Amino acid sequence: MKITYNWLKEFVDIKLKPAQIADKLTMAGIEVKGIEEKNADYVFEIEITSNRPDWLSAVGLAREVAAITGQKIKKLPAISRQPSKKNKEKFDIVVEDMKDCPLYTAKIIRDVKVAESVDWLREKLELIGCRSINNIVDITNYAMFSYGEPLHAFDLDKIQGGKVVVRRARTGEKLITIDGVERTLDAGILVIADAFRPIAIAGVMGGKETEVTFNTKNILLEAAQFNQVMVRRSRQKLALQTDSSYRFERGIDFVTVRNTSQEAASLINRIAGGKCELEKASSSVALKNKTIEININSLADIIGIKISAVKIKSILTALGFKLKNKGKSGFFVEIPAYRADVSLEIDLVEEIARIYGFENIPVSLPKFVPQINKAGSSRLVPYIKEVLVGLGLNEAITYSLIDKNSLKGFYADEIKLLEILNPLSKDQELLRPTLMPSLLKAVAYNLNQKQEPVELFEIGNTYIALDNKSTLENPSLCIALCGTNSLLLENGAVKEKLGVFHLKGILETVFNNLGIKDFSFASPDETGKSNIFAGNQEKVGELFIIPDQILNVFEIKNKSAVIAEIDLSKIAARMDLKKRFLGLPLYPGVTRDISLQIKEDVLVQGILDLIKKQSGGLLEEVKVVDYYKGKQIPHGFKGVTVSCLYRSKERTLTEEEVNPLYSSACSALVESFGAKLR
Amino acid sequence: MSDINIESVKNEIEAAIANVNSSAELEVFINKYLSRKGLLAELTGSIPSLPKEERGKFGQEVNVLKSKINIFVDEKRKTFLQTKTSGTALPNIDISMPGIAQNIGKLHPITQIINEINSIFIQMGFSIVEGPEIETEYNNFTGLNIPLEHPSREAFDTFYLKTEKLLLRSQTSPVQIRVMKERKPPLAIIAPGKVYRPDAVDASHLFMFHQIEGFVVDKNIKFSDLKGVLEVFLKGVFGDDIKMRFRPHFFPFTEPSAEVDISCIICKGKGCSVCGRKGWLEVLGSGMIHPNVFKNVGYSAKEYTGFAFGMGVERIAMLKYGIDDIRLFFQNDLRFLKQF
Repeated sequence: MKITYNWLKEFVDIKLKPAQIADKLTMAGIEVKGIEEKNADYVFEIEITSNRPDWLSAVGLAREVAAITGQKIKKLPAISRQPSKKNKEKFDIVVEDMKDCPLYTAKIIRDVKVAESVDWLREKLELIGCRSINNIVDITNYAMFSYGEPLHAFDLDKIQGGKVVVRRARTGEKLITIDGVERTLDAGILVIADAFRPIAIAGVMGGKETEVTFNTKNILLEAAQFNQVMVRRSRQKLALQTDSSYRFERGIDFVTVRNTSQEAASLINRIAGGKCELEKASSSVALKNKTIEININSLADIIGIKISAVKIKSILTALGFKLKNKGKSGFFVEIPAYRADVSLEIDLVEEIARIYGFENIPVSLPKFVPQINKAGSSRLVPYIKEVLVGLGLNEAITYSLIDKNSLKGFYADEIKLLEILNPLSKDQELLRPTLMPSLLKAVAYNLNQKQEPVELFEIGNTYIALDNKSTLENPSLCIALCGTNSLLLENGAVKEKLGVFHLKGILETVFNNLGIKDFSFASPDETGKSNIFAGNQEKVGELFIIPDQILNVFEIKNKSAVIAEIDLSKIAARMDLKKRFLGLPLYPGVTRDISLQIKEDVLVQGILDLIKKQSGGLLEEVKVVDYYKGKQIPHGFKGVTVSCLYRSKERTLTEEEVNPLYSSACSALVESFGAKLR
Repeated sequence: MSDINIESVKNEIEAAIANVNSSAELEVFINKYLSRKGLLAELTGSIPSLPKEERGKFGQEVNVLKSKINIFVDEKRKTFLQTKTSGTALPNIDISMPGIAQNIGKLHPITQIINEINSIFIQMGFSIVEGPEIETEYNNFTGLNIPLEHPSREAFDTFYLKTEKLLLRSQTSPVQIRVMKERKPPLAIIAPGKVYRPDAVDASHLFMFHQIEGFVVDKNIKFSDLKGVLEVFLKGVFGDDIKMRFRPHFFPFTEPSAEVDISCIICKGKGCSVCGRKGWLEVLGSGMIHPNVFKNVGYSAKEYTGFAFGMGVERIAMLKYGIDDIRLFFQNDLRFLKQF
């Protein structure tokens, strides 16, 4: 909200310069966001926290200034008088539900002269960005900005049937508000009506037809307390935030209602003439302020420094609290009506600390009791990231919310999808069940930026519905590779297209480093997906050679892309990060290579498994060292060279020991697969 | 064996020395005279077979000869080595050619900042806890003393799921409720993670971002402790020379509450466009945990006190690295990612 330096000075003496007082206010929790010098005054732009509706007025802010600077409030609103004289005016106030409107007051003021505002009033309002309308409307606004209660003035002669009714709107009722917009109402909206129709949206905005114009002679001045939630719902439904609704939503107290109305009535009398003929209220609840105890020691325990009883008393008194001693160590504190936010001792602690100054509270460090972190799955994610970054992949973070369309080809289990009730746009309609589309989108973006190759990974959650009440949130690893790696070597440039075996190699490195040994990859199905298993054929993830139709959707052209996703909750259960040293070999090993020509459909894994089976304990390692198809090999066959390393833990192996193992492996390959040795 | 004439050996060796002109020839020379089966070894080996009175003199002469040869060999080695480096034997390389590119990957800047912040708190004795992103209304709001239909909820606009009563957490504070319901004090917890708010996207707003929540609960925890812990933390992240200020503020789940500003790291407090000419940058929200929150998790507010704080990770990263558009974090441009 906005308020000016001079406006505050009407209520409290300020000796400090505008910038100084702004700084003091900021450090007391009333953040002055900006100061603008304008027409020999200074406009403060202030951010008011939602717990302090009393700060939405000059008098509320002046009270703070008084407490901070040790001054006294100059002008407090006069205590409201009950209507004194008997008169013949008859006007009814009907409140249908006291819960919606605990207090409704009306003053009937006759024979006003509606005119342009006097200069001081118009200028004041314009400084804080409020447009001048006429003297009556301007006075109601001025009173609101000064004292906090939003008022509304009706043209009394436009109100039909001699009464106002505070009630819920009837569904389909219509009202043109003073901004000229026709609004359709329903029972969720509280209105002020006359005998026949709504004439204002309670606490939000008045109606066009009953507004005060230059022809108005008699007015009804409304000051009320409306239910905070009702006002909030009404303005939400109508998408109509006003200075009035803003204040009602945050809460107005009975005293402020009466005082503001009283001040406005006397200003009207002074500026526009007119006599208050009738004053009526829907309720006359006797107000009793609540009392809270505060203990000086518990204050010290919470903030970390002892503040003297004298200081406590002066701070709270300046803020409008009334104190009575409670023994030597505390006070009974009576809470003023405008401080509905104060209901516990801690609220008073905050008030004292705030004015005392957080900067004056010392700095200390708590004693920490070391807590032992449970080792285990929490290490998984940092560990995988370390491995992947070491392999040259960059970490991406993409949005967890996606549009449903992007799942095509990636995920089909519609029942499990978790939809967002209130997305701002279509691309936030769903919590993603897979990271793949998001990461592929990041790949496509980079290709579009001529960045190549793209090697990205992400670790984030996937989300699915388990049933219509519960959900599953699961950490997931996704890796995507696309493009060609161009390397400038000593003998010239080499191009290396990234593909499925790069990705498999990365995954193997990850699994090996996590201590997971028993993993395997199934042959890709017709959609390009290859399941990844661990242990006893538990599916832990998927490797996906992205088909062209999906690449087209993502606008990846003339490139192939591969992507894999691993369910980290399954990996966490299987990983073994315990490290154990294995002794280095004491004796040299013997290597034998086997070159084979073999049918294309024989898997390399089958060859390796067979050799292992044939060789017994002396075979330390068997691996593929070459692989080729082409001219020298007949169609339907491939060439494979495997290398076997034999070693004993007890002695240097001799040729005589190794040769039979090698031969039996060779003959087994010939027998089982019809391999031809080369 | 005594027929070996030391003089003739000397002559032979001198002749051989004259013929050593390359390192290959030197190796042949060494092999012939100095090796285990070389001539000098043979001479030394013959000593025991000599008459006693000759042994001493002969031995001395052999040693003199041996040291002469060694000096010669060392000198020749050096010479040949020099000739080699100054010669044309090495390939002609253009050292200004780039080295063969080696790829190193980078952690996302958000991960890097979270790691950095975590490690500062771990040093102080905090432990890391992560909570779920799909939360209940209770943990995200009610348990944290944020009443339904209260204007303070507006600051935490929230995505709801179609699944009944579930939402995407709009802050990391629900981790407080989860941890406190499960454990007893003392607690010193750091909880990083993603949060979601239906905000329109621009250079400083996104519908998804990261927060770090921290809280401490024990007997005798005071506001002054909050000041101390945050000072250690902020100086750790932004440097020793920053100034800090604690400004009173309102959060429903803490009281007293404070926003924490640091002196602008760009202009050092003089006022610039980054800090809006104020010289201060808001970086944290914090406060003493509200007694109602303790009541909600079944702690005695008489026995325990505590503090809590929360910050936006993207904001910290933007300030620290000078990033001016929050959207860059999730665009995943490699030219961006590789800079950190």
